[in-house]
Amino acid sequence: MLETLALMGQGFINALLPVNILAMAAGTTIGIVIGCLPGLSAAMGVALLLPMTFTMDASTGLIMLGAIYCGAIFGGSISAILIHTPGTPASAATAIEGYQMTLQGRAGKALGTACISSFFGGLLSCISLYFFAPLLAQLAMKFGSPEYFWLSIFGLTIIAGVSSKSMVKGLISGALGLLLSTIGMDPMEGVKRFMFGQSSLYEGINTTCALIGLFSMSQALILAEQKIKQRARATKFSDKMMLTKKEMKQIAPTVGRSWIIGNLIGILPGAGASIACFLGYNTARQFSKEKEKFGHGSIEGVAGSEAANNAVTGGSLIPMLTLGIPGESVTAVLMGGLIIQGLTPGPDLFVGETAKMTYTFFAGFVLIQFFMLGIGLLGCRGFAQISRLSDAILIPAVSVLCVVGSYAIHKNFVDVVIMMIFGVLGYLCRKFDLNTAAIVLALILGPIGEKGLRRSLALSGGDPGILFSTPVCWVLIILCIFGILSPIMMNRMEKNAVKQAGGDIPGETGDDPVRTSD
Amino acid sequence: MKKTDIGVVAFIYAVCLLFLVMTLRLPSAAQTYPLFIIILLSALTTLYVAQMALAAKKSGITSGLEDFEGFLPKQFFPILGMVVVYLVIMYFAGFYIATLLFMAACLLFLKVPKWQILLSTAVILVLVYCAFTLFLKVKLPMGLLFK
Repeated sequence: MLETLALMGQGFINALLPVNILAMAAGTTIGIVIGCLPGLSAAMGVALLLPMTFTMDASTGLIMLGAIYCGAIFGGSISAILIHTPGTPASAATAIEGYQMTLQGRAGKALGTACISSFFGGLLSCISLYFFAPLLAQLAMKFGSPEYFWLSIFGLTIIAGVSSKSMVKGLISGALGLLLSTIGMDPMEGVKRFMFGQSSLYEGINTTCALIGLFSMSQALILAEQKIKQRARATKFSDKMMLTKKEMKQIAPTVGRSWIIGNLIGILPGAGASIACFLGYNTARQFSKEKEKFGHGSIEGVAGSEAANNAVTGGSLIPMLTLGIPGESVTAVLMGGLIIQGLTPGPDLFVGETAKMTYTFFAGFVLIQFFMLGIGLLGCRGFAQISRLSDAILIPAVSVLCVVGSYAIHKNFVDVVIMMIFGVLGYLCRKFDLNTAAIVLALILGPIGEKGLRRSLALSGGDPGILFSTPVCWVLIILCIFGILSPIMMNRMEKNAVKQAGGDIPGETGDDPVRTSD
Repeated sequence: MKKTDIGVVAFIYAVCLLFLVMTLRLPSAAQTYPLFIIILLSALTTLYVAQMALAAKKSGITSGLEDFEGFLPKQFFPILGMVVVYLVIMYFAGFYIATLLFMAACLLFLKVPKWQILLSTAVILVLVYCAFTLFLKVKLPMGLLFK
């Protein structure tokens, strides 16, 4: 306990180093810009800027990526409120009340509410990050090879959860990702597998290149296929952004409820900020004393949605950091950031020297929320103008950043070609309802599962009974069954929430179905 | 059922076949895991074929081209081509020259006003130079011609 408290304190001291402060400020600003551009998503932004963190210290790199994540989730609300076009699907519910407030000349108040609610949602989500992550990590430390095998299977069942329209297509995407993860050296036999004569594939497909291709390059291609749209001019506003004491009191219970909703949704694999925003919005309406204001510009509606989607951020990091299981696309990309730094996501992050890095990241995550509040409140007017940036400029700009980012990893041109192949693959997957997030999860989890399975069988002399030998194995098997069944529940929950909110999943964001592109 | 799904299924089967041929060339101990994944992928694809057949019986066959509504081939393919040419030029002429040409060509093609072309190209080049060359110390491709 004392050791944990010391690590927490040390984490804050490290997080306050100038380089980390700079990373927070830059990451949050970049994240907000990405978030408020309707063609770009949080996962895409984090993937695109992943190579920027190579040379940084692990904690600084992670802080920057975390700041981009939080900033992007908040940034989506700016265009949702001002031009009725959610920057990311996570702000879809915010557009309902936020734009009504804009039409009434209360855009400043709507943005202020979004900013303050996002701040509290994000800040409160750090509580669960601090308390649940170490507990789960302690449990994971008891895992052996059979447990790791089942853990990866559990992660893969999440594929069904992040599937778009057809669960079978989601599973096909996952299996395709697993097949691609076998490219490279066989981990037990030392045999070269499916390398097509390329020695750079010795360690398998570079996950970061695949991430950049699947999330960022494919998005540039999606933007390129449609007529370039002229976006509405963002409404200029002159009303005050700061909330009065009365308004703060009014939104406080809503923020509290949305925090719990967002946090639970974040921890649950396969669910994401876009579901949370609708659930937060609906709950705010159910409990509101001024139900009649909903649909006509209610600040409680904006607060409910924004607090919930930002509360997801801290929660979603828990399974990724403690078990090495990314629950959705943004955390899968963040996991890529950890792997680049030579770290293995899982309980090892909470042991020895690595624990200092982890707690520095946690402390940084707390401080990021303050940056989000400050930059959000001060820069809303400027960010509002950025949201008008034409897709015609975004297409070549994103393409260039994808190319330079993938090249920078190993300074190898083959990586650029791999990124491009995955870019086209990602584009085709999105057009034909296959799932890019599932491919990424399988690429990451495939090698873990393979090692777990083959080591277990080697230990038992080929007896598969070892895979069912401990109580933890059985708990994980039950979780796998839950993982398969959860999409049915999630889909129902999401449909109900959208229906009750009277909203629609926005198509204008240019993203995949909601859960894959938070 | 969508007609386009037939193409998706054919592609997945082709991938399975390609990997199967390569797997059978591996030593037997290294074959088991890839074979398991290939069988899993084939089984899931076959399950999807069955679902497609059921859907075709129940609600008929659609072209699937509705997913491509608003698709502009005269815009998409030239841009995709430009990206490929960009990579080729980069290989020979280096990153900065290729990027300058790509940005200008792509923005001109998309009918962006000239002052925005100048500004966007300059911003991207400066951004990449500061972030990657100065900050990350990444040596970007010089190109075969300048080596």
